[in-house]
Amino acid sequence: MPTNPPAGEDVIINASPTKEFFIHMLTRDIPLTRAILDLVDNSVDGARRLRPNGKFDGLWVRIDFTPDQFRIVDNCGGIPIDIARDYAFRFGRPKEAKGTPGSMGQFGVGMKRTFFRLGRHFLVKSATTKSRFTVDEDVDKWLADTDTPDNWHFTFNELETGLSNKEENTGTVIEVDRLLSNVKETFALENFKTRLVEELSHAHAMTLNSELAITLNGLPIHHDPQQLFVSKTLKPAFLEKSYSSQVLAGHRGPPVRVKLYAGVSERSLHDGGWYIFCNGRLVLRADQTTTTVWGDRHQMRAYHPDFAFFRGYAYFDSDDGALLPWTTTKTGVDADSPIYKAVQHEMIEMTKPVLAFLSNLAKERGVDGKQHPLEDAINTARPTQVQAVTRPSIFTAPPPAPLPTGPRMQRIQYDKPVTEVEKAKQLLKVRSFTAVGERTFDYFMKYEGEEKD
Amino acid sequence: MPGSYRVINYALRPAKAIERRMLCAAFERLHPFQRVQEYRYIGFGSIYFSDFQLVHRSLGISDMLSIEKDVSAKECFRFNRPYRCIRLQFANSAETLPAINWRRRSIVWLDNDDRLNTEILGDLATVCLRAKSGSLLVVTVNAQPDAEPAKEIRDEYQQQTGSPFDLADYRLRIIKELLGEKLPAGTTGADLRGQDVARVFRDVINNVIEEQVSLRNMTLPEEEKIRYKQLFHFRYKDGAQMVTVGGMLHRSSDEDKFNACGFNTLPFIRNGNEPCNVKAPCLTPKEIRHLNSQLPKKGSSRKLKVPGVPIADVERYAEVYRYFPSFSEVLFS
Repeated sequence: MPTNPPAGEDVIINASPTKEFFIHMLTRDIPLTRAILDLVDNSVDGARRLRPNGKFDGLWVRIDFTPDQFRIVDNCGGIPIDIARDYAFRFGRPKEAKGTPGSMGQFGVGMKRTFFRLGRHFLVKSATTKSRFTVDEDVDKWLADTDTPDNWHFTFNELETGLSNKEENTGTVIEVDRLLSNVKETFALENFKTRLVEELSHAHAMTLNSELAITLNGLPIHHDPQQLFVSKTLKPAFLEKSYSSQVLAGHRGPPVRVKLYAGVSERSLHDGGWYIFCNGRLVLRADQTTTTVWGDRHQMRAYHPDFAFFRGYAYFDSDDGALLPWTTTKTGVDADSPIYKAVQHEMIEMTKPVLAFLSNLAKERGVDGKQHPLEDAINTARPTQVQAVTRPSIFTAPPPAPLPTGPRMQRIQYDKPVTEVEKAKQLLKVRSFTAVGERTFDYFMKYEGEEKD
Repeated sequence: MPGSYRVINYALRPAKAIERRMLCAAFERLHPFQRVQEYRYIGFGSIYFSDFQLVHRSLGISDMLSIEKDVSAKECFRFNRPYRCIRLQFANSAETLPAINWRRRSIVWLDNDDRLNTEILGDLATVCLRAKSGSLLVVTVNAQPDAEPAKEIRDEYQQQTGSPFDLADYRLRIIKELLGEKLPAGTTGADLRGQDVARVFRDVINNVIEEQVSLRNMTLPEEEKIRYKQLFHFRYKDGAQMVTVGGMLHRSSDEDKFNACGFNTLPFIRNGNEPCNVKAPCLTPKEIRHLNSQLPKKGSSRKLKVPGVPIADVERYAEVYRYFPSFSEVLFS
């Protein structure tokens, strides 16, 4: 029996989001430290607009927080009106909006997400050389505006264009207050500050390297530069590639440039692994999992203490950030993206010779040979910033020492009471336990081992 | 290697003895929460059980637990146990503390010989998450700065880092190894000289306690939220530099009880970064008796007098005389 299709109002199922739902979903997955890093990304993007050459000396970002207020101030050129209108305050990013080439902000969520994550009132004041504006928004009022459910607008409280500001007077001030109670409590903890300093120094290592000065409650953030050991006999691998937008996304556009480095550095169980940067922002640190190169899935050995010398650095850069393999929270890579899959193979191939070298190094340390060419190679090398390596090269290391000649050897290990071992040491007139083991074995073989002949 | 209990006779460390008595004088003040003898005492008694003896004799506490990580000499510890009421638990504190029934108010003194490390911070975390309102948490750690190491170690450093040996950086690396991400942001190797290690350790202990308390509070209604009040901050040096930090964990609704304890009337209580430096002047029994006869001082008008003793030592003694230990040779028969 045919049914009549419903007509009129009944047809409509309301699927438009409420503001509360939207804010809840938007903020639930982002850790507090990461939300704050997102605001620093905006400042860095400002610095890039101001100094496309990437030399940021003289520019600064100052973050200050107390349990009552969060504040970030920079002198990085300010936010242009069109970016503020079409992008910075808008949810999502219109397809036609032109962003900052090579920017860190990418998904059209960062700044707003951070405001909602922190508190219920925010103030943004920004001045460029040509314009200035103020947005002062009470989030509770914005939420409560249910009379016009389609009204998702924020409004400029002040707006001036056609100015001619001096460059040194440009910059952005962001303040968030009426902080949420969990944020208040966290901001009171000294250990939160320590964690944020650590994350800032990791995530923005490259920007800090370009001399952007970042401070947190007055404390300057320092970074560890990305270094690899280099000497006459030990050289890291370096590979540079470009991937066209046509191939990656099916349309014309700026390419993705990739630089990969693999080699050895100071032994550290926690710091060993691959580091991945997208447009200068660290998104994966010291990865020791299948996400990069480790384990059976890639026909590779799993990460192991012997590999604690290993460092790999991958830099993805593009004027079209949408092509890069980062996630919206910038806390990992999008392992399914075509660009990442393509590059991952290269990373694996570059890692293999380094791991072979490190396995040989472990073997060399295990035998009491006279020569230690691999250990010597590491010990005589000097740490060098990867940016200083500019010519493509493969990983170079000295060959391992030839295996000691003579019969194949077998190590024996056993435990005996200390008092007895000490006594044996005295009787044998030797000074080490190794010698005790060898001499007692020799003694036994001398009297019992030659019967068969 | 034998435990430190065979190297140092704990009972003979004068500054430590003073600290122990001061702590005990503070423990006496806990009665607004409940009768002090009904508290539980948890500590690391070693084979001397000095703190256990004092706590049992002067406070009458009989629910006592000594945690002993050296499981290889159980007999020795059992033999030296001074009172039957002391229970011995042979395991790491990290294993024992989470398994304790925390429904009793407790005095917990994690009296370590080691330097502050993540394991000790883990113990602090457990106590902060579990201890009942009105409990005291005290932790002692070694805060001796690293001396310039031997040549082999300097060479090793050079090989590992590819840079010439630098004492400040070497110290920082060691402390980073011990504390991991709990090392306060901005700490430099220059901050790890002399008394500075004690300062850094006190900050780290405080930060971890506050962090843990905040975690515990996240799911508690306002009146049940736990507050931590620092009471103790001692520094002393019988051999190595040591630092002791501690205080009370109580519910916000128990604020009145906390105030009624009147801890702040005790002269050695410290609520902030300023430590109470415990120093034991070297005095003969006769000098001590002579000084005692002039103590307590009435105002500052009268000067204490004892022939031939530096005035600094006399003043130091006056600060600690009530807690001063007396050592003498005794022949047991």
